[in-house]
Amino acid sequence: MRLMIFADIHANLEALQSTLSHAADRGVHRTVCMGDLVGYGPHPNECIELVRDLKNCRCLAGNHDVAALWETSPYGMSSAAKEAILWTMDKLTADSREFLGALPDRLDIADMTFAHANPYNPRGWRYVLNRKYALRSFAATGSRHILIGHSHRPLVITRKHLLGLDLQTVSGSIRFKVDDGRRRIINCGSVGQSRDRDPRSCYLIFDTRRQRLEFYRVAYNVEKAAEAIRDAGLPPELGTRLFKGI
Amino acid sequence: MKRGRQEQVSTTNLKKRFFLWSALILIGGGLLLSALSFWNTRRLLMAEAMAKSEVILNSVEAIRSYVKDELRPKMYELHGNDAFIIEAMSTTYVSTTIMEEFGQSMPNYIYRRASVNPHNPRNLADPFEEEMLDWFEEDSGRSFWQGVVKKNGASFFISMVPDYFTPPCIRCHGKAEDAPQSLLERYGTEGGFRFRAGDLAGINSVAIPVSASLRQAWQGSLVIFAITLGASICLLWLLNLLFQRLVIERLGVMLSLITEKKKTSSAPCPGDELDALHASLGSLRSYVRSARKGAGLEPNFISGYVVTRPIAAGAMSWLYGAYEAESGDKVALKIGFEETLQNPLYRACFEAELYLFETMSHHCLPGVRERIGDTLVLNEIKGESLISILDGKRLDDRLLPPLFSQLCDLTASLHATGIVHHDLRPHILMLDDRDRVHLFDMGLASSDQQPDPIAAAGLGPQGDMLYMAPELIQGKRGDPRSDIYALGVLLYLAVTGRLPFDEKRKTIQKWLQHKKKITPPGNYRAGLPPALEQVIIKAVAHDIKSRYQWVEDLWEDLEKALRGYKAK
Repeated sequence: MRLMIFADIHANLEALQSTLSHAADRGVHRTVCMGDLVGYGPHPNECIELVRDLKNCRCLAGNHDVAALWETSPYGMSSAAKEAILWTMDKLTADSREFLGALPDRLDIADMTFAHANPYNPRGWRYVLNRKYALRSFAATGSRHILIGHSHRPLVITRKHLLGLDLQTVSGSIRFKVDDGRRRIINCGSVGQSRDRDPRSCYLIFDTRRQRLEFYRVAYNVEKAAEAIRDAGLPPELGTRLFKGI
Repeated sequence: MKRGRQEQVSTTNLKKRFFLWSALILIGGGLLLSALSFWNTRRLLMAEAMAKSEVILNSVEAIRSYVKDELRPKMYELHGNDAFIIEAMSTTYVSTTIMEEFGQSMPNYIYRRASVNPHNPRNLADPFEEEMLDWFEEDSGRSFWQGVVKKNGASFFISMVPDYFTPPCIRCHGKAEDAPQSLLERYGTEGGFRFRAGDLAGINSVAIPVSASLRQAWQGSLVIFAITLGASICLLWLLNLLFQRLVIERLGVMLSLITEKKKTSSAPCPGDELDALHASLGSLRSYVRSARKGAGLEPNFISGYVVTRPIAAGAMSWLYGAYEAESGDKVALKIGFEETLQNPLYRACFEAELYLFETMSHHCLPGVRERIGDTLVLNEIKGESLISILDGKRLDDRLLPPLFSQLCDLTASLHATGIVHHDLRPHILMLDDRDRVHLFDMGLASSDQQPDPIAAAGLGPQGDMLYMAPELIQGKRGDPRSDIYALGVLLYLAVTGRLPFDEKRKTIQKWLQHKKKITPPGNYRAGLPPALEQVIIKAVAHDIKSRYQWVEDLWEDLEKALRGYKAK
């Protein structure tokens, strides 16, 4: 089975369309969207609609999705993020709110666990970027693979033994074999707002039969996305950061 | 003639068991009755003997007291203190002489005065009496003994009392030189002396012969047993006649009817005829239940639909054929079982099922036209039930790819939306003329977007154990890999024509053990490609982690194996 996994669209319609178009040619059977459909970007309703209409797609709640529904306060976020959330709250349609309100925090399917930030405290939104939180994540589930997003940086953490971990950053489009039976935490990167200094969208296809991870970077029209941010009256730095991938 | 012989053969078992138990009970009853009779007669006999011996002993004691207290002092008064007239002053002599006279007229009463050292040698104790003297000497508190004793081949009921010397007795039983002259002249100096006051003088006993009475009691018991046995034989014969006429013959007719109906099943039913009848009534009950459901609705109307016939039963509901009264369009109606609608828990499952049908869309699921109360109106479901197609035979190889591609696609679609079916089995699947699969039941399904009533209520395993994955049998729900297991069992059934497990009822623990060992499908079908066999074995792996994790992976391997098989 080829499972498409993507996260952190952040209402960037340009990036989402390019990513889905790229994946459409790669024989995907199912899709999991790891959350943060909204926030930062100017097209929350359009992105929600696009993801909702995907065939065989499951979607999780991210911290921006929850904040846009006032389920958590946006005032703990950065200034630009808070501004964007308050803007999104005004723009969200009833259908979009209903869709976001029904999203689960965590999914356990077969030998995989999906969560936006981490599986041990999904609404704590703690980044899993180091050994401490990686070990907590492994302890929180018996699944072999843990799929996350949230940090906007593609990453593979392999458990070598009980306390030994191997953190591997992912650059560009790359393939990983995961047929060694080891447990892994896999961060699929971000579609709409990369932060690994590569402005391209990032998503992942997990080929379960071949036990292979396929990370893809997809170029999209960043200018158009940044212009839309400006036009929407959102903080302009949200557009400029897209060019740098930070 | 043939039928008569058949009946005879088929009814021997019950008849034999009935008469064996009846005979045992009657003979046992006869034995018990005669034993009770003997015991009661003996008890009465002993009570009577005891009363009689008590009278005799009291009489003897009265005589001895009279001699000691009345006659002897009077004789001393008349003849002086040195005089001793044995015939009037010896208690033993007087009492024994009187009782000898009494014994001549009443031979059934034998009085004895016995001592180990008597004046009169006739009163010397025999071995039994010596034994009893010792018994009385052991404990001076013992004042009476009764019992049945065999002497010279005859039984006697004997009562005994001890007699102790008092100071006046010592004159005749102390030193020989002090004894009266008349006593020495009669008995000499050999026996009856050297006693002191308080010593055990001897025992007074009365023996009543009871041999004849006991024999009579024993004979009476035998007569009672013989009469009971005779009556039992007559009763058995009568019961035989009645049982044969009233039960066996009529049961034989019923069983012959069942045998005619079950021509296909040649295996004899375990147990006797009633067990066979019970099993048949069980299946009849199921049939009547379903027939009543059908009869209850047909030709009723549900809103604008005319109900025709029941098509199949699911986990929580019936599927009926129907048509729209106005247009004549054929439809299918999903109607909850009565018990489902009455039970809040099952009703919640049924509601969840209806919701899934209303919200899910797949070409293998019937389209929903509308919902009328508790009834869901579905588009017409054509085709034949898969369980009928697979009835004892394997599926046509040509049908394997279309059937399982659709089933895998349907299951994957369900899983992709967070639904686990939990109850995939051939009974709820239909295959139409165009080889299209239709799933018409999701009564045990759960969705991770809705609360699962079965898990919330903590119910045990629900569904058909034959198709159930081990983790489902353990009560775990909501894992899509359980459906992959059921698909594996379906594939096994389709390829070999038989299930990997037999259908005997087992406990949950036995099912779990049973599911660990699966006979490779190749054993039941020669020439089965190893690749296809591997797919089946991996799909029905007991360990959930060793199983296919995703339906799509199962289909990918299966498609490859089927393609290779077809090419071969």
